[in-house]
Amino acid sequence: METGLSILNVSAGDIKLVFDKNTAERLRAARIVKDMLRRGYALLVETGRDERNVPTYTRVVDFDEEKCEYIIADFDSAAAAEADAKEPAHEPVANEPRVGKPKRSTKRVPADSTRGVAVARVAGG
Amino acid sequence: MKSLLESIADKTNEWAGIPLPVPGLDLHVEPNYPSFEFVTKLQEAYKEDCDYDPRVEVIRQFRIYFRHHWSKVAVYRDVDGKVRKTFLPAASQIDMLVDTLGAVSAWDYEQEQRALSLLMDMLTDHAFKCYTMTGSFLEHSKRSGVTYLFRRLRPTIALRANDEGVRALGTLCMHPIAYYRGTWAGAMCPTDDVIAHLVLMRGDEHEFWKRSNQHSISEVESGL
Repeated sequence: METGLSILNVSAGDIKLVFDKNTAERLRAARIVKDMLRRGYALLVETGRDERNVPTYTRVVDFDEEKCEYIIADFDSAAAAEADAKEPAHEPVANEPRVGKPKRSTKRVPADSTRGVAVARVAGG
Repeated sequence: MKSLLESIADKTNEWAGIPLPVPGLDLHVEPNYPSFEFVTKLQEAYKEDCDYDPRVEVIRQFRIYFRHHWSKVAVYRDVDGKVRKTFLPAASQIDMLVDTLGAVSAWDYEQEQRALSLLMDMLTDHAFKCYTMTGSFLEHSKRSGVTYLFRRLRPTIALRANDEGVRALGTLCMHPIAYYRGTWAGAMCPTDDVIAHLVLMRGDEHEFWKRSNQHSISEVESGL
C-alpha cells in the first residue's frame, strides 16, 4: 500500500495526502497537517506491525513543517505494562529520594515514508 | 447538493468535507467545526418537526434512577451560553433502525468502497471476512486487556473476559465531524466511522474512551 495520510472525510471519501518530492505539493501537504493538528484532529501514524502483521498506530503530538516529520511520543504502553508486571514489588524505604515524573521522550517519523489516518474532532454519538 | 458541498469544501480548505443535511433527519455538527454555521443555516431549509436547536451543545448525557424508572438526562450549553439540564425523551429502537436507513442518502458507494479498501489493509484476513460477512469484528487490546467488538452502524462494545466469562463494560459511540441525531448514522460513511474507532483504539486508547459517548448496554442507543 502507498504511503500517505488518509483524511477521513464526509463528502468525497478518504482523501490521501502525499508528501511528494515536488516542493510546492510538499509544502501544501505540510501546511495541511499543521492546520489539522491546530484544529484538533487526531493524527495516527503507522509505527510498525504486530505479531498478526496488522499495523500498529501512534498518535502524532506535533509536526515539523520544515523537515516534514511527524513527532510522536516514544512510549510503548503495552511493553511498559508487561515490564511492570515482571518487575518485583518494590518496598518503600524511609528517606528514599523521590523520583519525579519521567520526561516523555519523542521520536520523529518522516512523513514521506509513513502511512497514517487523520480523524476530525468528534461531534458526539 | 453533495457535489456542491464537495466543491465548497475544496475551495475553503475544509479537509474533512462539509456534512450533508438530510431531509427529515437532524444533523448535529461538532460546534467548533468551521462549517458549523453554514451547515446550520442549510439545515433550516430541511427542518421538519425537530425538537433540537442545532446551536445547543450537549456536554454530557447520563442515566439516573428517578421515580421508579431509569431516565436519561442531558447537560447542555444553551444558545444564551448558560449550562442547563433536561430529561430526554426515551428513544425507541425501531425508530432508530428506520431513521438510520434515512441517512443512506448522505453516503455513496465510492466512499464506502474506499473505506473498505482502507480497512482491509488494517485487519487480518479473518477479521476483514468477519466484517464483510457480519458487519463486525473483534480486536483485543494488550494495553488495557479489553476486547472490542467493532460494528458497522452501531457503537463499539467493550468486553472483558475473566474466569466467570465475558462481561460487557459498555458501548462507545463516537462520530467525527457530525452525526444524525436519533440514528446510529454518522456523517461519514459507516466504514469510515469504524476506521476512526479502530485507529483511535490502537493509537490512543485513552483518547478513544475520552472522546466517545459511553452508553450502558441496557440503553437503546447501545444497539444491543
